[in-house]
Amino acid sequence: MLRMTNLSKVYRTHMIETHALRGFAIDVREGEFVTVTGPSGSGKTSFLNIAGLLEEFTSGEYVLDGVDVKGLDDNRRSRLRNEKLGFIFQGFNLIPDLNLFDNVDVPLRYRGFDAKERKRRIEDALAKVGLASRMKHYPAELSGGQQQRVAIARALAGSPRLLLADEPTGNLDTQMARGVMELLEEINAAGTTILMVTHDQELAVRTHRNVHIVDGQVSDLVRRAPTLAAAPVTA
Amino acid sequence: MFTYHMMGYYFRLGVRSLRRNPALTALMVLTLAIGVAASVSTLTILHAMSGDPIPAKSHRLVSPLIDNGPLLGWTAAEGPNDVQMSYIDAANLLKSGQGERRTAVYGLYLPVEPPRRDIPAFHADGLAVTSDFFAMFDVPFLHGRAWTGREDTRTADVVVLGRATAERLFGNADPVGQRLMLNGAPYTVVGVTDTWVPRPRYYRLVGNDRFGDGEEFFIPFATAIRHELDAAGSMNCSGDRDPGFANLLKSECTWMQFWFELRSAGDRGDLRSWLDRYAAEQRKLGRLKRATPVETYDVMEWMERLKVVGNDSKLSVWLSFGFLALCLVNTIGLLLAKFSVRAAEIGVRRALGAARADIFRQFLVETGVIGLAGGALGLLLAAGSLALIGMQSQGIAAIAHMDWQMLAMTFVISVAAAMLAGLLPTWRACQVTPAIQLKSQ
Repeated sequence: MLRMTNLSKVYRTHMIETHALRGFAIDVREGEFVTVTGPSGSGKTSFLNIAGLLEEFTSGEYVLDGVDVKGLDDNRRSRLRNEKLGFIFQGFNLIPDLNLFDNVDVPLRYRGFDAKERKRRIEDALAKVGLASRMKHYPAELSGGQQQRVAIARALAGSPRLLLADEPTGNLDTQMARGVMELLEEINAAGTTILMVTHDQELAVRTHRNVHIVDGQVSDLVRRAPTLAAAPVTA
Repeated sequence: MFTYHMMGYYFRLGVRSLRRNPALTALMVLTLAIGVAASVSTLTILHAMSGDPIPAKSHRLVSPLIDNGPLLGWTAAEGPNDVQMSYIDAANLLKSGQGERRTAVYGLYLPVEPPRRDIPAFHADGLAVTSDFFAMFDVPFLHGRAWTGREDTRTADVVVLGRATAERLFGNADPVGQRLMLNGAPYTVVGVTDTWVPRPRYYRLVGNDRFGDGEEFFIPFATAIRHELDAAGSMNCSGDRDPGFANLLKSECTWMQFWFELRSAGDRGDLRSWLDRYAAEQRKLGRLKRATPVETYDVMEWMERLKVVGNDSKLSVWLSFGFLALCLVNTIGLLLAKFSVRAAEIGVRRALGAARADIFRQFLVETGVIGLAGGALGLLLAAGSLALIGMQSQGIAAIAHMDWQMLAMTFVISVAAAMLAGLLPTWRACQVTPAIQLKSQ
């Protein structure tokens, strides 16, 4: 699903070069739920940005669902992002002056679905996260947990192959965090591959596999017993 | 991806965005509206002044200029500096048989005595023209008809009234066949023109009243001459002349205009040749002194020659567009402020699959929506400012109103201006790096 080989990311200013990732390699298989952990500044966010085609990498190879993304122009990267990826952010990132329906509609608009198809997908996605009755509400009218559920619905509506989550429970209290995590596990069980950056070791142990990043490199691949049924075996 | 659906989506987002930062939006729309209103009101006046008043035949209506000025102080490089014609030339051209139709035109200002005793006498502005005049300038008739060529020849005492004059004298009844006194002589009404107010009054531009309210009456040219009716308006006499109307007719004083209607614009060359031969003959007779070639003008050229659109009007258009540019600079600043707080939204949209080009289109359409709002408000302001301008003179008031072309132009200017102002802020919006933006949330 996602394979990075010998990938590097260097930030250059006039004075210094910073290596955010070096010799980075990872292989995430279809259907896996992988957590990425590591100390601050280890390169987790750079990895996620590159994985999400939000940032270019300096060298190496990155193949996303069979597509070599190196050298793709902005239009093709955007299209690939729209079709294959779903994003869940720590800060939810809902557009405040769009109601829930219109928020979930955003990625579907760029996909070019017709109105009927969009409506069906939006209603399905919001129903899946338990917010079907609040479609006309605005984000500010919801709790943090509910907002994150909307963000998940938005990420799911386009039926992505890979869900990228950046500290999805970081801004939530324990109870809400547990709810969101259970939702992600359900989504994964239904077949969507998930890659999640987190600080929370408790969450990390619940997934199939944890990848630990230190100084821009994968330091340790932790094999785990599957916590969910039918989890694939890691390489 | 840019389909009509997306266009509609961006448009709705743009409308929604007007409600975000309402103060900033209001300031932007107002700035734009003021600039647009200034441009549109000056442009409206320019447009009304410079439009073709008779598009179907403006190329076939031709006015000649024959230079009958004295030799003293003349240099060969000069063209004719007088824009009117002497009676001698007008009478000769009327007899020439050139063109399909011909008319001399001179202004009259005569006392009118109504047939009804209860209506007091008044003075009216009119024209002395030939029977051809009405067909040449497409004058519409409400009652009756124009007088005939025979009545021209007979110098019949007939009159065609303007609609307002007819209603003033006879109410709504058909006055054809009625008589009234003009300058103490009886005339029979043969027709009433329907409302006919070409602006500018291209058939008689000499004098100040270029944007008047329409003619009050018309009488045959030859009849006016027979009654020795003085011209109302300017008269140029280069030398001394003996007193009396008969001597005026024999003089080189210029006080009338002349128009030919040609079968086609291509016949103008033939007319020129004929006029050149005529002028050469008149020079041989010793009447014309100068060797100035005869000039001919069609309607639009004639308006240009007589500077219907003054340099002042052109300058004010330039100034108002300068002002619009100034407003645009302000709008750019306001848009930059408005868009800078949208970085988070741009980041999210980029992450969810919007290409840079999508963001560019969305924000450009949004500036277009601001332009539409600015256009709507600008239209109101322009209408107000035109009303103010119109208060300065009746003539300007008559032309200082918008037609549908100017209405459309208002929105075109406003939307184009807003989008132009939006280019830099929109380009900046596209440069938002989603990765950094999303992390900062």
